[in-house]
Amino acid sequence: MPPSAAEPESPSTAEILRSPSPRDRSSSSRFPNLRGVRWRIDLGILPSSPSSSIEDLRRVTADSRRRYANLRRCLLVGPHFPKDGDKSPDLVMDNPLSQNPDSMWGRFFRNAELERTVDQDLSHHFSDKFDGVPFPEGNVVANSRFTVSTSSASANWVAMNEEDDHGFQGCETKVASLDELDPETKDIVLLGDAYGAEGELGIVLSERFMEHDAFCMFDALMNGSRGVVAMADYYSPSPAMGSVTGLPPVIEASSALYHVLSKVDPHLHSHLVELGVEPQYFALRWLRVLFGREFLLEDLLVIWDEIFASPNGFSIPFGENDRQISFTILTSPRGAFIVGIVVSMILHLRSLLLATENATLCLQRLLNFPENINVEKLIAKAKSLQALALDPSITFASSTVWSFEKSKPSYVRGHSMSSGAISPNTPLNSLPESYWEEKWRSLHEAEELKKGSHSDPLTSRVNGLLSRAESVPSPIKFLSDKKESRASVRRKLLEDLSQEINSKMDSTNKKDSGPSTKDGSSLSVEIDMRKDSVEDLTIESSVVEETGKAASEENSSVFSTATSPLSIANERENEFEKSSVTSKISIDDTNEEACSQTPEPKLCQAPEPHLEATTSTSTSTSTSTIIGGEKHVTGSKEQQRKPLSNRFPWFWKFGRNGDATAEKIGISEGQQRPDKVGNTMRNLGQSMLENIQVVESVFQQESLENLSNNILGSKGQATATAALKELRKISNLLSEM
Amino acid sequence: MASGDRIDYVFKVVLIGDSAVGKSQILSRFARDEFSLDSKATIGVEFQTRTVLIEHKSVKAQIWDTAGQERYRAVTSAYYRGALGAMLVYDITKRQTFEHIPRWLEELRSHADKNLVIMMIGNKTDLEDDRAVPMEDAKEFAQKEGLFFLETSALQAVNVEMAFLTVLTEIFNIIIKKNLAADSNANNSVPSLEGKKILIPGPAQIIPAKKGMCCT
Repeated sequence: MPPSAAEPESPSTAEILRSPSPRDRSSSSRFPNLRGVRWRIDLGILPSSPSSSIEDLRRVTADSRRRYANLRRCLLVGPHFPKDGDKSPDLVMDNPLSQNPDSMWGRFFRNAELERTVDQDLSHHFSDKFDGVPFPEGNVVANSRFTVSTSSASANWVAMNEEDDHGFQGCETKVASLDELDPETKDIVLLGDAYGAEGELGIVLSERFMEHDAFCMFDALMNGSRGVVAMADYYSPSPAMGSVTGLPPVIEASSALYHVLSKVDPHLHSHLVELGVEPQYFALRWLRVLFGREFLLEDLLVIWDEIFASPNGFSIPFGENDRQISFTILTSPRGAFIVGIVVSMILHLRSLLLATENATLCLQRLLNFPENINVEKLIAKAKSLQALALDPSITFASSTVWSFEKSKPSYVRGHSMSSGAISPNTPLNSLPESYWEEKWRSLHEAEELKKGSHSDPLTSRVNGLLSRAESVPSPIKFLSDKKESRASVRRKLLEDLSQEINSKMDSTNKKDSGPSTKDGSSLSVEIDMRKDSVEDLTIESSVVEETGKAASEENSSVFSTATSPLSIANERENEFEKSSVTSKISIDDTNEEACSQTPEPKLCQAPEPHLEATTSTSTSTSTSTIIGGEKHVTGSKEQQRKPLSNRFPWFWKFGRNGDATAEKIGISEGQQRPDKVGNTMRNLGQSMLENIQVVESVFQQESLENLSNNILGSKGQATATAALKELRKISNLLSEM
Repeated sequence: MASGDRIDYVFKVVLIGDSAVGKSQILSRFARDEFSLDSKATIGVEFQTRTVLIEHKSVKAQIWDTAGQERYRAVTSAYYRGALGAMLVYDITKRQTFEHIPRWLEELRSHADKNLVIMMIGNKTDLEDDRAVPMEDAKEFAQKEGLFFLETSALQAVNVEMAFLTVLTEIFNIIIKKNLAADSNANNSVPSLEGKKILIPGPAQIIPAKKGMCCT
């Protein structure tokens, strides 16, 4: 067996043992693939310094195990086991019938009672997952639930040791010298070697001392290893030492996470607060068992990897110490990451929560977190939230960002985490306030129109199920109806369509902007495109001032949208952001259409009455994609429509992006007014249908013109035609449902 | 509600009692007609709902299932807020769980609404052989404290439905009575069953669920 065969054979083992992104960790920590060792290093049991040798690790390992063995000997007293050999037992006090609580027997009975409680809790807790795994017996002093951490460490250990056994068998027979092995395998061999300092007690990876190692990790996690986050605090009913809030730690941590939530998504926060969903109702469980109930084991291990890997030290610079720290948990990267996980979990359920009108239902959703989530995405988001939470301006009570957000909550919301993977503070900090003022004013009118035009948030509940792939619900859901099957068909169609359109647009862009590449940087391509279009707009004398102004604003908004996702530096995230923007825009387009609908009534002949109001979602998407640019023109200046629509492909894109900003506002406004929404839905459905026809007839007209003056590229035309076809298909499909 | 089902009333009910007496099992029997042998301990609070028909009105019971362990006591008091009913559960095979009932009762009375409808439940009647709390003791206690009382078996689905329906119906009757009283007071006329519902301010207030679509 070659050295590489030391890799685990079974995929499930590999899954559990390996963190999702080994390349990330290998740079930052040792033994990236040996979870049992890494956790002990992260939790401060083993030395973290990269210079410490395997021998050092062995010594520390042996010491930690000895400590546990001693503890066990002291605490688990047997009645026939005199504690001190030299001290003969005082039979007056130390007898089984003694009422003295300090007697050896009294202690014994107390411990027995405690063990029974722990036993009950354990049997209560480990019903299925950990069958066959021996439980650490030593932690009688520990709270039941946290034994999960030790026991899953144990489970992990068993898996790991199995792996090692395979590895050794292969290595011993074939490999002559350790140096022939790749470093990782060499580590495994050395960590499992019984020879060397401390002998068998020093085998870092040893099944025999699983209980000892598990206890050490459990203990370190509970007491926090002199760091900020000590899980045991979350079981304490009294405020922590030096707590400013004077609240029990778990309550304080709960308010900390609502505090962070209020920064990134004030709307959702106020919704939950208004319903009376107090954070500790769900956070108590999330925090006390460190998400142990919320995720599948394999996901949980990955989340714990990340939590433990975050340093637990006090992160606030000394100069800042004078100021009041409201939330202890936010003062260490680990605590901030835990809060980040919580907030990203809440945001994952955003639309479901917003659609829920009573506290109990909200809590039911929060406490039944979907199992099939994308953990990596959740972690990535939690990391960006961690950075935000560690920001002193958040940790300390007041900040300029906050006051600014307060002044324009509806706008800021649009650019907050809620709208996607956008880094939450980028748009706020990178742009002068005057920009937003201006933007807000210019969008205000459209917003007014849109206020009532959003669908019933209640209906989005079921559709949340469909959007699990996205960590943030896309506003599409707000328009979809209740039937999952229907919606999923629609969604599928949507995805196909948007992919098709995107690829076509990309090719159009490419053609127009020449050497721009397509890889990952399509956003920047779009920026270039929009620059072009703005120039074209202003050059074109027919463009009225209003449109021009909007265009320049739109252009700058493009930059902010483009930069924020990039700041996360994650290609996948980027992609996601892009697609979610696409879908958001479309709805908005339709809404605007619906409001400023049918500029030329003569085109709206023969509306199809059989199309349901609720079918608007998918169809509207395609409609808007097609008419985006056109709408802008028709909306602002009807007379200018024809000359401008010669720029069809550019305007189209331009319109889409411009609406991205408007849309976000629109959505939030819509959510604030769920009551008006029902009627508008119906209208929307109607006007959507009409709009399809408007587009079609306009397009026919234009294509006739284009034939004559041949300005519009055939590609743009083909795109539009294809999109129209898709649109027709969808509307047929919908009307059949 | 988006489902279009009309909900006339929403009642909040809390389930309390010592650890491992079977609160969650009673609830899952009532809400989903399930009993799982390997259930996990409740951490903090968990939720179930079920809609039942009482006198042709649909009543949605939102049941808060709380953790029984002592260590949760500090945060549980908030759970009682707005509750109209409480199921106070003990285990008939564990005397201690019954002896703790007065403590729970005290907690309920100090944190919850005065008009709270309380049902005491002795669970696990399927373990009759291990019975440690005679039914007479419990009955006597219930009478003294003015509680409803039933013995149940979540495992065998005995009396669980009955227990919840009793509580919900009692709450329902109290509400109706209050509404009628409020009606007659407001109209100064003969109370009419056709009268519209009027919200009673105060902690016992019922939130009438919105009917149909939520558009105005």
